[in-house]
Order: sequence, then C-alpha cells, then structure tokens
Amino acid sequence: MAGVYDGLTVVELADRRNQWAGKMLSDGGARVIQIEPVAGSPGRWCGPFVDDEPDPDRCIDYWWYNTGKESLAIDISRPVSGPLIRDLLSQADVFLDSALPGTLTEFGLDYPSLKSNKALIHVSLTDFGQDGPWRDYAMNDHAHLALGGQMSSSGYSDPKETPIGGQGRHAWHMGCAFVLHGITVALFDRESSGAGQYVDVSIHDACALGTEAAVPQWMYYGSTMYRHTGMHANPKRLPPLQLPTADGKYIIAVMQNFGTRVWNYLLAWMDEKGVSGELHDPIFQDEAYRMSEYRTGSVIRDAVARLIAASDGEECFHRAQENGISWGLVHAAEENYDVAHYQQRDYWREIEHPEIGRAIPYPRGPFDCDALGIEPRGRAPQLGENTDSILTQDLGLSAESISALRDSGAVR
Amino acid sequence: MNGGPDKRTGVLSGIRVLDFSWKTVGPWAPRLLTHYGAEVIHVERADGWDSHRYNATPHIMSDDAQPVDLPGARQTHIDPQFNTLGEEKAVDGKEQQVLYAAPYFNTLHHGKLAISLNTKSPEGLQLVDQLIGKCDALVENFSGGVLASWGLTWEKMKEINPRLVYMSTTGFGHTGDWKGYRSFGPTAAAQSGLSLASGLPGKPPAGWGFSYLDVMGGWMGGLALVQGLLQAKKTGKGARIDYSVTEGAMSMLGTYLLDYQVNGRPTRRPGFPPGNRAVFPALAPHNTYRCAGRDRVGQDWWVFIACETQAQFEALCGVMEQPALALDPQFATNEARVAHQDVLDDIIGRWTRPRRRYAIMRLCQEAGVIAASVQSAEDRVEYDPQLQHRQMYPVIEHPELGAVPNEGYPVKMSRTPAFVHARAPTYGEHNQYVYGELLGMTDEEIHSLRERGVI
Repeated sequence: MAGVYDGLTVVELADRRNQWAGKMLSDGGARVIQIEPVAGSPGRWCGPFVDDEPDPDRCIDYWWYNTGKESLAIDISRPVSGPLIRDLLSQADVFLDSALPGTLTEFGLDYPSLKSNKALIHVSLTDFGQDGPWRDYAMNDHAHLALGGQMSSSGYSDPKETPIGGQGRHAWHMGCAFVLHGITVALFDRESSGAGQYVDVSIHDACALGTEAAVPQWMYYGSTMYRHTGMHANPKRLPPLQLPTADGKYIIAVMQNFGTRVWNYLLAWMDEKGVSGELHDPIFQDEAYRMSEYRTGSVIRDAVARLIAASDGEECFHRAQENGISWGLVHAAEENYDVAHYQQRDYWREIEHPEIGRAIPYPRGPFDCDALGIEPRGRAPQLGENTDSILTQDLGLSAESISALRDSGAVR
Repeated sequence: MNGGPDKRTGVLSGIRVLDFSWKTVGPWAPRLLTHYGAEVIHVERADGWDSHRYNATPHIMSDDAQPVDLPGARQTHIDPQFNTLGEEKAVDGKEQQVLYAAPYFNTLHHGKLAISLNTKSPEGLQLVDQLIGKCDALVENFSGGVLASWGLTWEKMKEINPRLVYMSTTGFGHTGDWKGYRSFGPTAAAQSGLSLASGLPGKPPAGWGFSYLDVMGGWMGGLALVQGLLQAKKTGKGARIDYSVTEGAMSMLGTYLLDYQVNGRPTRRPGFPPGNRAVFPALAPHNTYRCAGRDRVGQDWWVFIACETQAQFEALCGVMEQPALALDPQFATNEARVAHQDVLDDIIGRWTRPRRRYAIMRLCQEAGVIAASVQSAEDRVEYDPQLQHRQMYPVIEHPELGAVPNEGYPVKMSRTPAFVHARAPTYGEHNQYVYGELLGMTDEEIHSLRERGVI
C-alpha cells in the first residue's frame, strides 16, 4: 500500500512522549528506526503486559505505539555509539527526539552537530520546549493535563470534587499531533527547497491551546468555566446532559434541537414510554417557546431525562440518531469491536503476534483514505530485533565489529 | 482587511483552501494551515451564519448588544451549552440572536478570509464550482450527505479540479450503517470509549469537558489536510479523506483495545477509571490534592503531584518536612505505596490543604518532584511565565474590538516559522476580493448577486 510517508527514513530516540508520532509516520509508510537503550525503551516497561508478567517484548502499550518500527538497541552514552548514530542520521530524513533540552549536545546529537545533513528535519517534542523558565521542570502526562488546562475543564459538577485528567496519555497525543504537523509541513517545504530544519514542539504549549472556548472566554469576558459532570465546561452552571439509562449506562444528550420533526418524534417516543407529562400542552407547539423553555425551565429537560431513564442505552442512541438527534451512548472502547458499522468501514487490521501465536485486530487509524495509506504495517519490534541488520546494512559494520559492540554492552 | 489576502508568507503560501466548516471541530483544521500562510476562504451561508458568531457582544466592546438584521437570515435555535455567555434579546416575544465578533469564532477562524454564499441557490452552487477550480483543498464538516445534496459529489469535484484535496470531518464517516448519524465532540467521545476512560471509580464518567474531540479532532483533521497537500505536491493527484472523529478517537485508545484482546481486560470494570491515579504503570503518589483558596466561581484549587522514582518520593518527604515517611514500611517502595495509596494521599492532602498551589509546585519542582497546578484559562493567560516566554498569546488588531490577544501556535520551526497572520474576518469581509479578483466578476455583477441573495 502506498503511504504519504513512503520512502522516508525516520530515526526516533525512544521515549514515551514521542512514540505515537513515530507510529503515525511508520503507519504512513516511513521506515522508522527506534533507537532504544539496551535495557529497552521506557515504553516497554510501563505495562499492561501479556498475562500481567513484565517482559519488554510483551508490553501491550509498546505494541500499540510502535507498530511497524525497527529496533536498534544501543547505549547512546557510550563514546563508541556517537559516530554510529551520527552516521545513521546522516542518511535520515527525520530525527525525532524527546530528550531533556540540552542533553543531546554531549552526545553530538543536537541539531548543530547534525546539520551536515542539510535535508534533515529534526523535531524535538519536550515538556516545555527548548527554552523558558519552566524548561527543566519534571512532568508526566497527567501533570500536563493539570498545567495545560484540561483538568480545569473536566470533572464533576460538585465544586468540591477534584478536577479530572482522563486516562490514556492524551497530553502526549496532543504534543504528537503538532509534531506531525511540523514534520509534514517541513516535508512539504523540503519538496521544493530541498532543505530541512529544526522544529521545537512543547507539550505544554500544545495543551494550553487545547481547551476549546476556555481561553477566549477568559480573554473576552473574564469568565471562569464551571466543570460539569460528563459534559462541556461552561461559564454558566448548566443542568446535567449526561443522563442514566434504564440499563445502567449513560447517554450524552448533547446539542438538543427541537425542530418540528425532532419534537414530534420525541413526543411520540415519550408517549410510548408514558413520560410525556405536560408536553402536549399546545404552548409547546411553538419551536421558539420550546427552545426558550429548554434554556430556562425544567419541563422539557425533566421529560427528556425520564425518557432516557425509561429506555435502554442502545435504544436511546439509535432511535435518537435515526431521527436527527445527536445523542451519544457512553461506550467502553472494547465494545466497539462488536459494532457492525466499524466492520463495514473496514476499520480493523489483523496484526500477527508470534509472541502469543495469533493475530490481534488493531484500529486502522483516524483516516479512511487510500491516497494517505495510514494504517499499521506490522507488529512492534522486539528489543534489538533489528540491531544486527541496521549495523550491517545501513552502517556497513562487520560481524566481528558487531560482536565486539555486543560484548562490550554497547548494543543488544 | 485582515492582513490582506495576498500578503501571506510561510510554507503554505500560495495554497488556497475553500472552507465550509462550522462549529468547532471543522474550523480548527483549516485554521492550522493559516499559521503557515495558506489562504483559507471561510464560506458562511448567506441564509444562516455559523452559530459561533451568535454569541453576544463582548463586554470590552459594548454592554448593549443589538441584533443584526440581515435580509433572508434564518432564525435558528441553539443549544445553550454552546451559546456560552450572551443572553438573547427578546423582540416581539421571540428570541433574537446577536451577530458579532464572538470570542470562539475569532479564535477558530483567525487568519482566514470570509465570504457569504447561498448554497441553496443554483447560482450559488455555480460559484462553488468556480471556487473549487481556484483552490487546492476543500474542507467541510457537515453531516454525511450534505455536499452530495448540493450535487457536489467527489467525482464532480475531481472533474473540476483533479488536484483537489477534499477533507471531510464527520462523527462516523461516509460509509457504513451509521453514516447518517450526527455527532458533536461529546457524542464521539462517548461512542469511542474516551468518556468512560475519564472519571472517579464508582462515579459517572467525568468525560472531557474541554471538549477534547472538538479540539484534537480538529487538529487531526488539520493533519489529514497537510498530509493530503503533501501527497498532492508529490504526485500531482488529489485525494478524498473521509475522517471520522470517532474512529480518530478509537485510534488513540489502542492500548485498551489490545489489552482487551490479549488479557480479556475491559475498560468497563470496577475501579476504572481510577481518577487521577496511575494504572499502567501503577505509581504512588500520583494524584490531585486540594490546596488553599478557590477560583472565581468557588471551585477549589488543586495541585497534581506524582513520584515516578524512589528518589522523587524521598525528595517529596523532604519537601513536606516528613522524612520519617520514607522510612515507614507502608511507603518504602512504590509497590508498598500503591498498596497504601489511600493513606498516603491523605497525608499529602493534609500537607497541601493549607498551602498555596504555586508555592507547592515550586517547592516540589525545585526538589525534582513532578508537580503542577491545575491551571485555569486565567492562570495560563495571565500568570503562566512559560507560556508568556513562548509568546503563546500574540496581540492582533481587530476593527470592532481593538487590540485583542489570540491563541498562538505551538510549533516553532527554525527556517519557516509559523505564526498568527491575522485576526478573524468579519462577516462577508472578503466578498469583493474573492468574487471580484479571484473569480473576475465586475462590481455590477457582485452587486446583483447581493441583491438577489446569492451572496
């Protein structure tokens, strides 16, 4: 399959922060060589593991974020390693790192040391970028969700309850989104200029940009957002929109409109469940009144809540959606495997895993587009799986030299 | 004019995008291209504007917002969740909405040009065809089927412009049983499994109130767009990109999906999600802690603290002036701390409760411990020295608002810098440029289009 990143060689310095960006490059057809410590990338040690038994080759999180990559396990702090890695980078199109700012200089892997490859695009994804007063602060994904503003807008309507940062490394995802923007735009430029460049992306900057209306609301109105259980933060206190269903799930009854078609359907559905209450009063025939009552009153809201409470989750979702109402059902991620819609869209990709003797269905990726061709190209590498082939074929080392490097502990 | 349509510099200078996006997730994608100098023409329907324009006049402009009366304008009703602050004016017992330079519209559309166009008129649709011939990309985030209902199929677009990159953002994509289903960010967050991965154990899902998929969904759409443009530059061929926001979200949940496949462990299970605690790897402490003070609307202030190494925990004990904690067998190792994290969280919470959040953050960070204030928008815009240093809020002149700060761009490129080119356009501000200069119409022709409600 052709891919948007076909023909590119990417060298990725292993780190949990940047690995999703490397995965997207690999899924898009690039050859991605991940340089790992000989003990393995930190991404191999976080879990979950197969059968919950720690093993760097059986870390499921690593499998997901490193599809199709090659692994070169080499200790970059060893003097013998520097020239080898620089040689590899002299042949590369993209260098992706998440090293602490300033720390690559001692290994000769900072951008000024690599500039002889004039076409190289060197992208650093770090917590705060390469400069600034907080540059060297210690962070992790959740800390970014706190500092970047995500937590401030997420959690519960109870003002005493803690703000919540969601699970799943999304500050890093946000940083990676901009890494991918930077790389792709730099490649677009290089098509005509032939020149590479250095790209500095800060996870904190990315997160700070990612709080929807919170910043403009503050800038224009001086508003502070209230957190609301399961829904948008807002400068006003709003009634709940995440409503429990008869079968113990939740519907997010978002973006309600009450045009004639929607209203008539809702009313018939409420009648069927015996919950329409006073909504047959002729005053509710006026759409403007309905909307006004919904904004300021509780009659319609209470009826909608009763309707959802009297219906199962799947019933709510499909009946609403089939009638132009954009409600969503709070699914668990794994429940999507059983949804015919995604199968019809050819969303799952079977990736073989000899580690467990079978294939696993992976998500295709965000875009359905043959011209971009972004989907997993194969499983993640085992630790050092490609060390020999890279040292031999890319760097021209003899078997004896590789053996010496391995004996000395510089490579695995 | 907002910087002038032809004065743009940047990597994407010379790239022109026809932007039919509205709401939030759609407009983000082409906005990202404006930072690189692309000319993005935002099309607003002459018979009903982008609802993000409806918010009432900002206080900094006037306390007395007036409804705007445009001929042919359609009265629409908007969920108050999105009509964030403004109160509607009652005229003759009916609500009127106010069309102004609203904050979120200004944020999502800065650097763009704006035209008005009636896509319900055959003449309007002919103008769309002509514009497609002048553009490199077309972006929309209508529900599936809307463009086809205008007669604008991919086959037709390709025929007009074989190099066109067409990027469509929908909740569920253009094929499959759910292709007609509607979605907003929270719908997709719910359906994908994201909402369920956020919250305290035993409580309803907390979700992603920023709202994540309206933001990240737009960033991914922007990525697809630049990828499509790169591919078109390399191959000379256009592309149709069917981007489903829900599928985009599921493609960030791979670890949970694979864990289910391999270990049979679902995310719908007791104890998950674990609030702000960490599961893989399990670490303690790793939580938010209440501090002294509260924000302007009465929500308590919090600080997040985590220790990923033994050295960090020992340093935290020092910062808290409780060195004996590190010698307590309950907390001697990470494993022990995880087993006793309720007790440990209690101890740390008692230490943070009377203290100021930034003081806690500074003390911890000076000792190498992960700590971060839970910052609001006010905190970030006004007090965050890092964001100020990185110039994340550049000030741009606006004709109605004066000098106002804008959100900047987080990619710093050494040779081809990205920046905020201009403010957001006012309604139909660039009709003259687009219909006159780009499409070569005379003033009389443009006037006639306006008179007949085509633009």
